[in-house]
Amino acid sequence: MPTATRIKRFSILDRVSHLFLMLTFLIQAATGFSRTFYATNWGKKLSYLFGGYENTLVVHKWVGALMIAGFLIHSIYLLTRIQWRSPGKSIFGPDSLVPNFQDIKHLGQRILWFFGLGSPPKLERWSYWEKFDYWAVYWGLPLLAITGLMAIYPLATSQILPGWSLNVAVLLHRAEAILAVAYIFIVHFFIGHLRPTSFPMNEAMFTGSMDLEEAIEEKPAWVQRLKDEGKLEIVQGNPPARWYRVLYFIFGYAVVIFGVYLLINGIIYSRYVALH
Amino acid sequence: MAQLIGIKRWLLLAGAVVLGTILLVPEKAPAQEEVTSAIRRYKQYEVSTGYYEEYEARPQRQRPFIEIPGVRRGVFPYSPTSASVRVRTRLSDSHLGIKFYNRRRCEDCHVTETRDIHTTRANLTCRQCHGGEPIASLEHYYSPMNPIRRHAYVCAKCHEGASASYASYVVHEPSAGSSLARTSFPVLYYAYWFMLVLLVGTMAFFIPHSLLVGLRELFTKKRITNNADSDAH
Repeated sequence: MPTATRIKRFSILDRVSHLFLMLTFLIQAATGFSRTFYATNWGKKLSYLFGGYENTLVVHKWVGALMIAGFLIHSIYLLTRIQWRSPGKSIFGPDSLVPNFQDIKHLGQRILWFFGLGSPPKLERWSYWEKFDYWAVYWGLPLLAITGLMAIYPLATSQILPGWSLNVAVLLHRAEAILAVAYIFIVHFFIGHLRPTSFPMNEAMFTGSMDLEEAIEEKPAWVQRLKDEGKLEIVQGNPPARWYRVLYFIFGYAVVIFGVYLLINGIIYSRYVALH
Repeated sequence: MAQLIGIKRWLLLAGAVVLGTILLVPEKAPAQEEVTSAIRRYKQYEVSTGYYEEYEARPQRQRPFIEIPGVRRGVFPYSPTSASVRVRTRLSDSHLGIKFYNRRRCEDCHVTETRDIHTTRANLTCRQCHGGEPIASLEHYYSPMNPIRRHAYVCAKCHEGASASYASYVVHEPSAGSSLARTSFPVLYYAYWFMLVLLVGTMAFFIPHSLLVGLRELFTKKRITNNADSDAH
């Protein structure tokens, strides 16, 4: 796999953010599920991992606070990424994750390609499904944060909003959590691991770089743009060290196995608890 | 003499009837006697808290944005007297006239009410919030559960500092997707269906999408490698 010509895809900050999100998301999923399913044996066992029913909530709250901090830091980072001299260009440009009309076109082309009715779309740096991944987290996180904070501070909430909004907040928190867990543990894991081009694992998020040939195949428009701008040489990255590869393979698969374990048990035990 | 015997006979008969009545009528259960008198109960409240003054019983100002699902207040609340005839929400004893009431358990009738978070997670019993007999209707003017004082008399027992708004949290919330929720708690109902449609929609799009990507790449990949092999030869 490691070849000489590699192209840089994720900065160190991107990768650290992703690692942070992996860990916090998994802890939140596990603690949240253990409390939701506490009436079942599985939920009880899961809560022992975090020191019981009460402690699980403490962990959930603190990790939630970490996630909120991460979200705020990331939002500030986003603001610094906008080139304020020409904000329109940097917000809607090809290096941005903001969806544009090109994505709709790509989706249409790709659906035709699925059925052998055309060539695959010439994707730019971020494909529409990658953008969806990003924005799913970016709107889900504040929703979970706000509803979570409402549940932590019910008295303060009832000063601003009617008390019955807590019923709605708890419902939304749970529903959004289920949505996020289902999406990440099914769709995101499939794209990152099971998809033939990424099987057994899409390593770009850990190495920060990807094979140039793979990039030409996957994101032809991006590579072409870099060539035209003469930036292709600049973004060359190094192949990952062997020990590092072993490490992230073990870590990545541990996360996948634990995530799928949570998902499957969640589905099995969902009939024993009232989910709303 | 015959007259006297007749009177004696009547007296005996009357005595037997009285005795029989006393024996046949069931004796009062002392435990019930303690609580069944609504007057005595509210007297106790009055002794401990003083007479109910108007400022105590009504919220000082109406907050237009803070309302309680299922409770109609404001410009045209319906008449308390007619309501108490029609529904059980304004009685001093909400279970008045229910047969074999003292032989029944709360969950015999209120099944879903035992499945909320307060009961299943915090292990609360019904009586810890609803109190002993007689359990007054929620809308009864002197009921501790009346929304005008529920926060102070019930919620604040555990949730220190609970306000009237806080007490509008629906402890026994209807099943969020049900038609009952649609009428009694529409915000919850629409939030539920919005999230469900979002979940089903996202999955219905992305699962087939991912599978098709997988299938297509599986076959395209093969062709590319074959080409590469043939090029190499």
